[in-house]
Amino acid sequence: MARYGMVIDLKRCYGCYACMLACKVTNHLPPNVFWSRVLKGESGTYPNVVRQALPVLCFHCEDPGCVKVCPTKATYANEDGVVVIDKDVCVGCKYCMMGCPYGARYTVPEWKSYFPEGLPLSELEQFQKRAWEEKSGCGVATKCDFCTDRRKNGKAPACVAACPANARIFGDLDDSGSEVSQLVKTGRGFVLKPEQGTNPKVYYLPPR
Amino acid sequence: MSSRLYGLVQTEWRWLIAIYLFLAGAGGGAHIAGVTADFLGWTQLANIGICLGWPLVLVGCLCLLGDLGNIVNAWRVARKPDTSWIARGTLIISIFMMVGFIHMILWIWPGTMLGADSTARHVVGVIGAVLAFGTMVYTGLLLGDAIPIPFWNTVLLPILFFLSALSTGVMAVILSGVIAGAEEAQLLTLARADILLIAAEALVLAAYLHGSYRIPNSRMSAEQVLKGDAASMFWFGVVGCGLAIPLVIDATGLHGAAAVLASVLGLIGGLCLRYVVLAGGAMYPIAAAGFTFRPVTRPKEPMPAVGKLPPS
Repeated sequence: MARYGMVIDLKRCYGCYACMLACKVTNHLPPNVFWSRVLKGESGTYPNVVRQALPVLCFHCEDPGCVKVCPTKATYANEDGVVVIDKDVCVGCKYCMMGCPYGARYTVPEWKSYFPEGLPLSELEQFQKRAWEEKSGCGVATKCDFCTDRRKNGKAPACVAACPANARIFGDLDDSGSEVSQLVKTGRGFVLKPEQGTNPKVYYLPPR
Repeated sequence: MSSRLYGLVQTEWRWLIAIYLFLAGAGGGAHIAGVTADFLGWTQLANIGICLGWPLVLVGCLCLLGDLGNIVNAWRVARKPDTSWIARGTLIISIFMMVGFIHMILWIWPGTMLGADSTARHVVGVIGAVLAFGTMVYTGLLLGDAIPIPFWNTVLLPILFFLSALSTGVMAVILSGVIAGAEEAQLLTLARADILLIAAEALVLAAYLHGSYRIPNSRMSAEQVLKGDAASMFWFGVVGCGLAIPLVIDATGLHGAAAVLASVLGLIGGLCLRYVVLAGGAMYPIAAAGFTFRPVTRPKEPMPAVGKLPPS
């Protein structure tokens, strides 16, 4: 079976937030939910200051902290190595949100519109609300699933497809010929918070 | 929320979980105080402790249930005790409540068969006390198992919560004892024991915050508690209400209304302690390639409500 992973080339990323928006649109995320986010960091002292963007998402770790603390085994790694949540088993205790070192998990009590409260939902919003309730669920933990629905149709995850700089490379880490495993094999890549021992499957290439 | 910790501090567990952690602790503490009082032969205070213990924990559990996002699945938590501290704790707390309930109905009301047989009563009491100990320590282990949050992931937290739980449990017994008119001498002894507990709690709290401040990854959490958003609740609620005032009142000796005041303030302080620890729970920012990355801060203005929109 495949073991999906991603490489994000920080030298290419210029922090345009396209991945964040593509994820929002594709997964019908309500306000304050960001399965895919872009963090910003600064380094150096004036006048030699560098600003760097860091796109983050669920890293689908080999030893996920969220799975370790889940009291109902609602979250697990499926046969593709993708960490998913069974919304029918999740109890909504939010312990996994404390167990994830990357803040990749979100929970909302209900799907909300971006427009002010009290306005009737548009047809698109009604569809989005239904889709969210069916796929992700309200009150339960939600997070990135490497766009399961898109992968079923042979497409790459939305953030990968949307990236204008081709900074994101998605593929099978077990397939030694794939671009991801080639890049990982170079040894230049690093993972975030390695001291947490989670062994993420999303690698980063250094910004310079 | 201070913008410095935006996106890093946890905002999911707040008052309901704080009440749950507090009541689980205070209930366990009251139960242990009751069992100890029974060994000393103080029947009335023992009765109060046993009758306070499991109902307090039960109310706490209701708060936990209220915090769940998908309560229909709550039964699943008890099925897999090997998975997580929430599951293990649920098991410990459920058995504790059952033992406490059995202890109560067999000894105090409606049954009285344990009243004559002190050996059986002590056996049930000790079993309950061990489970109560588990309940009190579990509240710390629950947070301590969240490895990404270094402020919680320390061995001092279960000790701190245990001492606070025992102290608040004793205060709950003193409070009910004063109201029920228990013997002055026994209450005085309990209050003296509570002085020791409060002092030990203050020491552990100081060590806990000092350690958190010295460790770079949890420094922001300690700052959040000592001088950030949670500071007023920490200094007034935890230090003032929970430690200083009860310590002074208990040390000056027990007088009806003053003892009630000390206990009420101490209980409020215990609740504030749980809230403050929860409010300080922040993961450390991601650092890589020489950068420290933070989420971009969001403007604070809420969306205008309908009707207040500017005319188009």
